[in-house]
Amino acid sequence: MIDVKPAPRNVIAAKVPLDQRKTMIEFQDVHKYYGDYHALRGITATIREGEFFSLLGPSGCGKTTLLRTIAGFEGISSGAVLIDGNSMENVPANKRPTNMVFQSYAIFPHLTVAQNVGFGLRRDPRSKAEKDKLVEESLEMVGLKGYGARAAHALSGGQRQRVALARALILKPKVLLLDEPLSALDKKIREQMQVELIKLQREVGITFVLVTHDQEEALVMSDRIAVMFEGEIAQLADPETLYRRPNSRRVADFIGVMNFLPARVLGEGNGHIQLDVPGLGPLDVTEEQASAAPNGGEAAVGFRPETLTLLYDGQTPLDREAPGTIDEVVYYGDMTYYDVKLDGVEKPVRISMRNVFGRPVLDVGTRTRVAWSPGALVLFR
Amino acid sequence: MAQSAWSRIKHSEAANGLALVSPTAIYAILLLAAPLLTIFAFSFFKDGYLTVIREVTLENYIAVWSDPIFRSILLRSLIVAGLVTLATVALAFPVAYFLSFKLRPERKSLWLFLITIPFWTSYLIRVFLWKVILGYNGVINSGLKSLGLIGDGRLIEDPIQMLNTVGAITVTLAHAYAPFAILPIFVALEKIDRSLLEAGQDLGESKAMTFLRVTLPLAMPGVVAAVLIVFIPTIGDYVTPELIGGGKLPMVANMIQAQLLPLDNKPMGSAIAISAMAVVALISLGFVAMNRRYLRGAK
Repeated sequence: MIDVKPAPRNVIAAKVPLDQRKTMIEFQDVHKYYGDYHALRGITATIREGEFFSLLGPSGCGKTTLLRTIAGFEGISSGAVLIDGNSMENVPANKRPTNMVFQSYAIFPHLTVAQNVGFGLRRDPRSKAEKDKLVEESLEMVGLKGYGARAAHALSGGQRQRVALARALILKPKVLLLDEPLSALDKKIREQMQVELIKLQREVGITFVLVTHDQEEALVMSDRIAVMFEGEIAQLADPETLYRRPNSRRVADFIGVMNFLPARVLGEGNGHIQLDVPGLGPLDVTEEQASAAPNGGEAAVGFRPETLTLLYDGQTPLDREAPGTIDEVVYYGDMTYYDVKLDGVEKPVRISMRNVFGRPVLDVGTRTRVAWSPGALVLFR
Repeated sequence: MAQSAWSRIKHSEAANGLALVSPTAIYAILLLAAPLLTIFAFSFFKDGYLTVIREVTLENYIAVWSDPIFRSILLRSLIVAGLVTLATVALAFPVAYFLSFKLRPERKSLWLFLITIPFWTSYLIRVFLWKVILGYNGVINSGLKSLGLIGDGRLIEDPIQMLNTVGAITVTLAHAYAPFAILPIFVALEKIDRSLLEAGQDLGESKAMTFLRVTLPLAMPGVVAAVLIVFIPTIGDYVTPELIGGGKLPMVANMIQAQLLPLDNKPMGSAIAISAMAVVALISLGFVAMNRRYLRGAK
């Protein structure tokens, strides 16, 4: 069995484990109705100080609504939202210790970059010179040193986003809220910004709450992720647990690619469950590998494409192997995806293989052997 | 086969474009540019009995600008137009704001339609109706009379004199131009990204301060457009001062009419017209320059 342990990501995390830090945001059975529509259905969760927390889910799952209840743009129908121990009931958005990076960035088009960044400093008692210095430092922090005098509308998407970040962080909020901040950027800049955001969060130590529909983005950036479906949190865990031990078939399907094969439960006891899986044969999994959520009576095992390996002539598996035929080949350059029909199973399973030097890409129709390990499986019942 | 020159011209982009604008262009040249140039030329000529003497002179302009009556009439025109603009834009802004921010999107077109209803009645008739409302025995005075408020020893001694006042002219013109002011402001407000208002509050400003720091500056191009749309036609309005002002409070257009027709001094009338145009152009340029400042910041 594979040892699952979250990797500490930021400075505070390295010093103090997540569960020993003070609570920054607390949702207590939060419900939200829009007329008859039940948008949030009993959200209960805590977000810790200095945590990089993500709300992940498909569009319409309520993740943005939940974020907006923290910011104060959205009221709640029942329950409570607490920030740093204080109830946010009747606290308007402008009085909350949060700042937001909007999906559209919401850069004021009639102001310069520096005026945008300094927008929230109007009532700050410091002198104009000190504020100007602060603005310049904030711009430097996001890599826009010397851009202060530029008109905001002349910036590129990535630059706008940096301005939005500087504008929010200059106010030293307790919580920074990010509403799909990277979705409008193209792939290269997005990946670069992901790394920069992680570094920035580590540097400032502020609690970040990110809303995203991009599971890869959430996995890359977060300390913990709440996966949401239809107004409920389906699973709240660190990225590795979420990926390796999804607690339901739905979460498993949403995070990355997962192959499912129907299984039959033969018996259980002593912390082990005996299964029979067509195509793989009889096998044994531990109880930790079984998801909590019921799978509608029908048992299935799930496994990630990278936990399977095609065996070339003369190779022997580390654990077990199953024969099959290659049904489809998708070449990605660094990777090749094979759809393999295991003998006795109609639906092909997906296998990802790194194209290491000297390893040929196989053709459709080739007979092959697939190496697999019972420890990598997840059981859904 | 080489195409003939004619067919090449016929099919060129430029010819197509010209063909599209030519009816309007001919109309504009014949009925706008030509009369304007004639007026401009006349303003430098001398007046003779029933004729115009074609002798270039600046006498007309000197006479116009040294005439205290012209100056007081121009000043009255500016004051009336300024008051009308102020009233119209100040009243139109809340309406436009309501339309843009407080209505559900599917309701907006209905409200815009309702705002255009005054246009179903001709301008002239609307002016006449104000005469009926404001007159000595008009709707307001007879209403007050029937309430027993007018009469000897009552709250008001005599019926209120409302016609033939600058106030009456202002009210009539403001009513006529209100829809013109609502639309450009509405369009400017519609263009404002709503997340900017949330951003304003998120950065610690109250709703009122967010309005002042975000909404209002971004609505300025629409406000300036509304100001121009109302100010330019009202300063040259002829009908309302004639009917509501009773001819006793002439504005610059009435003075021009008097010179050109009853007094038959075409050069003098032309010089007044050109002078008034120059003043309006100068003020408008000021507004356009102001608008530039705001447009520079917008996308």
